[in-house]
Amino acid sequence: MIVVRAPLRISFVGGGTDLPDFYRRYPGQVISSAIDKYVYVVINRTPMIDKISARYSISETVDHPDALRHSRIREALKHLGIKSGLEIASFANMPAKTGLGSSSSFSVALMKALHAFLGKKLDARESAEAAAYLEMELLKEPIGPQDQYASAFGGFNRIRFNSDDTVDVEPVLLDFKKRFLLENHLLVFFTGLTRDTSSVLHEQKRNVNDDDKFETMKQMADSVPQFVSYLENGQMQKMGEMLHEGWQRKRSLASNLSNAVIDNLYSTGLKNGAWGGKLLGAGAGGCLMFIAPPGSHPAIRLAMKKTAEQNRLNEFREIPVHFVQSGAEILYHGDGQPSAFA
Amino acid sequence: MKEFIKQFADQVSASLAQLPAEEISRAINILEAAYERDGRIYVFGNGGSLAIATHWVSDFNKTVFSHHLDKNHRRFQAIRLPSTESEITAWANDVGFDMIFAGPLKNYLQDADVLIAISSSGSSPNIIKAVELAKERKVPVIGLSGFDGGKLNELSDAKILVKTEKGQYEIVESVHHTIMHLMTKYFKEYFDHMITAGR
Repeated sequence: MIVVRAPLRISFVGGGTDLPDFYRRYPGQVISSAIDKYVYVVINRTPMIDKISARYSISETVDHPDALRHSRIREALKHLGIKSGLEIASFANMPAKTGLGSSSSFSVALMKALHAFLGKKLDARESAEAAAYLEMELLKEPIGPQDQYASAFGGFNRIRFNSDDTVDVEPVLLDFKKRFLLENHLLVFFTGLTRDTSSVLHEQKRNVNDDDKFETMKQMADSVPQFVSYLENGQMQKMGEMLHEGWQRKRSLASNLSNAVIDNLYSTGLKNGAWGGKLLGAGAGGCLMFIAPPGSHPAIRLAMKKTAEQNRLNEFREIPVHFVQSGAEILYHGDGQPSAFA
Repeated sequence: MKEFIKQFADQVSASLAQLPAEEISRAINILEAAYERDGRIYVFGNGGSLAIATHWVSDFNKTVFSHHLDKNHRRFQAIRLPSTESEITAWANDVGFDMIFAGPLKNYLQDADVLIAISSSGSSPNIIKAVELAKERKVPVIGLSGFDGGKLNELSDAKILVKTEKGQYEIVESVHHTIMHLMTKYFKEYFDHMITAGR
């Protein structure tokens, strides 16, 4: 059995500039961090059973990868030439579509685990590349590669996307005091809204060709170094204000990126003392994050809960977040020797 | 005599003033990640470096938690290689001295683990053999080297090089020991903070 886990992530500024239509014209940049919520992928070798099983929210058992309904597992197996004799299961600390990058964390864990199954160890970069290839090339998803890199590497990273499709990952090396300081100022709420973000991304992709929107994305990418310097110096208010600016910019990129409920929740946070914040993920749902003085947290929590109730968001809740240094990792590799089954 | 003492102190101070801060930060982040996944740390070196490794293991397994020894908190799993002197002689006598670290490491090494290799020259063959084993398995390596860094500095993920003229073992080892103590102090404060915050 092989157990791999990959962390979810929070992105601060520059999100969206990882789309190929943008970074092929102007260098994209994002700053994000891995958090203590993980996706786990478990692979069990079943050489005596000529089937493939995939166990996630449902359970599938098929004779050949082609018959799998789970598109990522199907394409990954076909790409790697794995035909049968294994069970794949996934687990997560969080539901899907919360804007914390879980779908790419899953791909990273899956590719790392499948390669280990084939006897090949992938390092962080190789895991990110394999996951990005799966999602962007094999499945043609309209996304960029920021989440795959954030999850595979772990910790705080400044990630750059170059026009030749190469990606540079530069860790932002913070001590625990800086991380705790940020954690103590951070509030993350799951809005209770989950929506397929591909419609948002498709519109955003089209809009890259709009000159004004391209300019806006340039500003988003260019704001990353300033945010990193505020982070390194522990300037929480400045960071909050930058999140706010970035979110205002991002909202303007696609008509369906935000909506009245999200705007209502966001302004509730600001009215009750937050310096700034943003929606996590591609848009239209997911989590709202705020940077706010710790003293204002009780008031923000209370007001947010009330606004959520007014909007009948039954799934709304606060998500406690801690930053982690770990990236995608093999936690257990007890696969033994395949010859044990021969 | 005073002049000799001053000269030594000056050399050590000059080296300390140029600590590779970024690489030490990288090393600390690597150790934090290993702690998060409950991975083990293997630390080793030859001669004085082995003594530094041994000292550090006791610090990491106990001292960093010394304010909370009664708490049921997950500890570090730091292991000096080889963990017994019998293994050193067994591998040296039966296979070769270049296998005294890599040989025993093979028994232990798992994907979640981390290596700290200490070598003033950065080119001791037995150190490099163990580092190569880790690299092959994609296990992160923190390398503390001196002089020009040698192959160890080249192979390491965190390249902690105390650059000196060749043969300045006393300077390099003094600074290596300081860096190891720095990491001990960091984690002691880290756990003080974490445990006080109830995590």
